[in-house]
Amino acid sequence: MKTEKKFEEKMEELETIVNELENGNIDLDDSINKYTKAMKLIKECDEKLKNIEEQVNKIVLENGEIKDFEIEE
Amino acid sequence: MNDVNKYLTVTALTKYIKFKMDNDEHLKLVFLKGEISNFKMHTTGHLYFSIKDETSKINAIMFSSNAKKLNFNPVDGMKILIVGRVSVYESTGNYQIYVDEMMEDGIGNLYLEFEKLKKKLELEGLFDKDKKKKIPKIPEKIGIITASTGAAIKDIISTIKRRYPICKTYLFPSLVQGENAADDLVEKINISQNYDLDVLIIGRGGGSIEDLWPFNEEKVARAIFASKIPTISAVGHEIDFTIADFVADLRAPTPTGAAEMAVPNITDIMKHINNLNIRINESINTKLNYEKLKLDTLKNSFIIKNPMLIYENKKQKIDLLYENLNKSIFINLSTKKLEIDNLKNNYIIKNPNILYENKKVKLLNLIQKLELVNPLSILKKGYTLTYKNDKLVKSINDISKNEIIKIKLHDGFITSKVIDKE
Repeated sequence: MKTEKKFEEKMEELETIVNELENGNIDLDDSINKYTKAMKLIKECDEKLKNIEEQVNKIVLENGEIKDFEIEE
Repeated sequence: MNDVNKYLTVTALTKYIKFKMDNDEHLKLVFLKGEISNFKMHTTGHLYFSIKDETSKINAIMFSSNAKKLNFNPVDGMKILIVGRVSVYESTGNYQIYVDEMMEDGIGNLYLEFEKLKKKLELEGLFDKDKKKKIPKIPEKIGIITASTGAAIKDIISTIKRRYPICKTYLFPSLVQGENAADDLVEKINISQNYDLDVLIIGRGGGSIEDLWPFNEEKVARAIFASKIPTISAVGHEIDFTIADFVADLRAPTPTGAAEMAVPNITDIMKHINNLNIRINESINTKLNYEKLKLDTLKNSFIIKNPMLIYENKKQKIDLLYENLNKSIFINLSTKKLEIDNLKNNYIIKNPNILYENKKVKLLNLIQKLELVNPLSILKKGYTLTYKNDKLVKSINDISKNEIIKIKLHDGFITSKVIDKE
């Protein structure tokens, strides 16, 4: 299984690119490449956040079994 | 008015106060709990110290007769339970408690243990700032080690879900109080290491110091320290500090606080991404505009507008080079011609017979020298050579009468017969 980059790493990469572009010390080709990359990252991060399908809480039992866990209200 | 008899002496007043105190039912027998401070043992064996709590303090004395019965060594900071009476020491006017019995307070004992362990682990470096792991800003999987029931887990999960609903949580249910709690906590900390978690919250809700005690145990501290996952401790209330809090990578005041520290607010992140999106578009537009302006400037530059200038410049240069070339070829030719003329006028070339004349004179000289040493040249002067049978005759004894001899002159031979010899 291909391990996808963690969300936080993507955010960090995105911030780095934005800072680089804002500093403006890179040539046009590089700028456009980085911009394209940043747009891709923004889309991925956005999708991840908007995927509101709530994560179910899990409980790891003594025998290692993982079950859904509901808080008793 | 000023009746001197109205005025009391200090002694009288003090005696009165002492009398009042000594006869007060509540002060005759006092059960008191507190913490020892300013502890001193006099050479007489009497113990002088103070007993204090958060806001008040009372001086205490324990006479050696009672002190001898103690089965522990009182020290500053120790929590104690005492039985005594309150009275006044007349010389100083101070009231104090006269201690008859003193025993260790169980909780006070725990406090000392806590301090001892804290100092030990601190010296070992378990609390060092540079050993603290960084808590990820945006975790995706959070492990929670606490009881599966109660306020703590409820607070943690509901806070995480409210702030960052896309986060996965894994609860490792553990005992959090009682004798077996420490072992259980250690086991759960170890198990949790295998679940690829980004952060681990370890804690429980509020309770008495005894309730929170498992979080002050050495093995729990060491398990937290050994955790490869960054840890957040969340034990009891804001005011409760446990060893786990010192060794964890981050201390949260409460379980809710831990959840707030563990996850970001999803709306903040969305805003942040939005903001980054705006910033990056602005900066790329700025960049593009800048490049476009640069291009326009170039487009309008003199040379682009007057491309013939490039050609003309080059043409001029070629002309110049051509001219230089012609010049230099001409100079070269003239030089060579001059050299040839010089050679033509050379003395030897003009007088080649000099070479011949010289040789001829030399040859004649040589011939003359040869003539001088030629044996035949002597014959020219009239001398002759005599041969007999082609052998040169050098003595008169070589020939006899009537023999034929040949006489050589410089220009021929005479054949003769010997008529006589002398």
